[in-house]
Parts: sequence; C-alpha cells; structure tokens
Amino acid sequence: MSDLQLEIKNLIIEALGLEDIGPDDIDADMALFGEGLGLDSVDALELGLAIQKRFGFKIDADAKDTRKHFANVASLAVFVSAQQAA
Amino acid sequence: MHFSIDQWRAWAPGLEQESDWQAWSLQSSLPAASESLPDVNFLPAMQRRRLSPLARMAFSVAWPLADAHGTPLPLVFVSRHGETPRAFTLLSDVCAQAPLSPTQFSLSVHNAIIGQWSIMRGDTSEMTALAGEGDGLEHAVLEAQLLLAEGAPAVLLVIAEDTPPAAYAPWITDVPFPYAVALLLKPGQDWQLKLQACPPPENASSADTATAEWPHALNLVRALSGGVTTLEHRWRSRQWSWQQNSA
Repeated sequence: MSDLQLEIKNLIIEALGLEDIGPDDIDADMALFGEGLGLDSVDALELGLAIQKRFGFKIDADAKDTRKHFANVASLAVFVSAQQAA
Repeated sequence: MHFSIDQWRAWAPGLEQESDWQAWSLQSSLPAASESLPDVNFLPAMQRRRLSPLARMAFSVAWPLADAHGTPLPLVFVSRHGETPRAFTLLSDVCAQAPLSPTQFSLSVHNAIIGQWSIMRGDTSEMTALAGEGDGLEHAVLEAQLLLAEGAPAVLLVIAEDTPPAAYAPWITDVPFPYAVALLLKPGQDWQLKLQACPPPENASSADTATAEWPHALNLVRALSGGVTTLEHRWRSRQWSWQQNSA
C-alpha cells in the first residue's frame, strides 16, 4: 500500500468520524459508497471537502468523472496524484 | 393540566443511574465538570459517529424509555441553546472564509436531533423541536399534553443542554454543566402543572441572566428521585406550579 493510500485512508477515518475503523479495515479497492464501507451522500461532500483542504486543489463536483475518482481508495490516490502533478 | 410521569431518566457528568440521582438528590452538590460523554454503544458505530455531544445525551436518556414503550412514540425535544458548538464552528469557518463542513451544516439546525432520532428508530410519529426560554421544560410539557389530548397513548419529552463554547460565556449563564432529562408522559392524574401570571421582576434584564444554582429540569429530577411533591418555578411573568397528587 502506498503512503498516499494510507494518508487517504486516515483522512477518511478522521474526516468522517469512523471511530471503530482503522486503516487496515479499508482495502484499497473496497467500494467507499453504498456497499463496501457504506458511506452516504453527506460523506461524499465531507470527503470531497477534506481532500481539497488536505491536498490543495479544487474538485468539480459536477464533472462526470468525479464519481469514478471517489469509487475507492486506489482510484482516489490516482486522482490526487494526477491533480498534484497537474 | 394533568398527566403521569410513567418513567424518567437523566444524565449529567458522573450521574447516570437512578441510584446516582437518588444520592445526588440528598446532597445536591454540583456534578464535577468533566469531558465524559454518555454511552450510546447501543447504536452501530456508523450511526453513532454523527451524533454531537448534545445528541448523545438526548439519545442516552431517551432510548431506554422508547425501548421500554415500543414504537410509535411521539417526541417533544426542547433545548434553549441547542447546537451552539456546531453553530460556533460554522461561524468560525465563515469568519476565516473557509469552506463549511456539510455535516456540521446539515446537523446544526434545531430539529436535526429529532430527525436523527426518527431515522435511527424508524419511527415516523409526530416529533417537535422547541427552543424555550428558562421555562422551556414547562412549555414542552404543555406541547406533550396537547399530543396526549389528541389521543397519543404516550409522549416522550427530552430536555437537553450542552456546555456552550467559551465565547458565549457572557450571554449563556444557565448551563453550569451538560445535562439531559427524558420523561415518558402518559395520560393520568399523578401530576398537575398550573400556570399563573405573576408581576414581572422589577429588573427584567437581571432576571433574564440570573444564574440558577442548577438547571430547573434537574429540580424536577430531584423531586422525582427524592419524593418531593411540589415544585414552584417562576420565569419572568410566568409562575408554574407542579403538584404531585397522592395516590
């Protein structure tokens, strides 16, 4: 697991108040929303905000790929890396 | 108006069980200030995580009473100050021109707690969130009484206050420590609550900010645990008289 994936897992736990969950409980390819971790739409907004704050870029909530980027920790890490490189 | 207090529960730091309150009712010392929060482990972690301290207090006292009664159960929630910590966090973010947390924003409104309650209990009964003045408890009893008069077999009343952020200290002086009280009210004759007009205090502003030794709702808890049968509560020009009728 990359450092960036670990950082994103910890950010999810911290920003969403997942008090009983540790980074090891979130697989990189586990679905974050609906099935899998079971996050909901308010979590999506909160996580989007936390990512923007932590990594310092803007996310277009209406962009058609945003949903894909937020599918799991692995896709988020790829998205954050790409944004940081841009 | 007449009603019965079928069951009650209260929480304050260090005071959780009925025996704690009985001991407290004899000596009536202020609870020691602490950061302790009530246990809401009866809820799954995914549901618990969005409950503020105020919501945790309300849920911890109300949940066992609702479990004992079963659903559906109408709810009257009253809090004078509500989610001041959430509001203060949001206002601080506004001042710093920082983006607002969607969670804080959506749960800062006064009826957020009854919304969470309704979802988590799967109960779509009528539920009301009130913000009363110093006699919010009595206004909530009046509201509950109206629901009983409409035919509800029982009404759950919850009064809760959380310690406000330090910035509010000059204005909020009636929450010496966080607390919550839940009453399961039913039609009956055990208790009578009467309202009479009385002359307003000469210095109204000082009366508004007067710091009671402890919150009025806990005077009722003391009466319930210590067998006291009468209670007088004056707020501005309103004189409330509680009277327990002997069986």
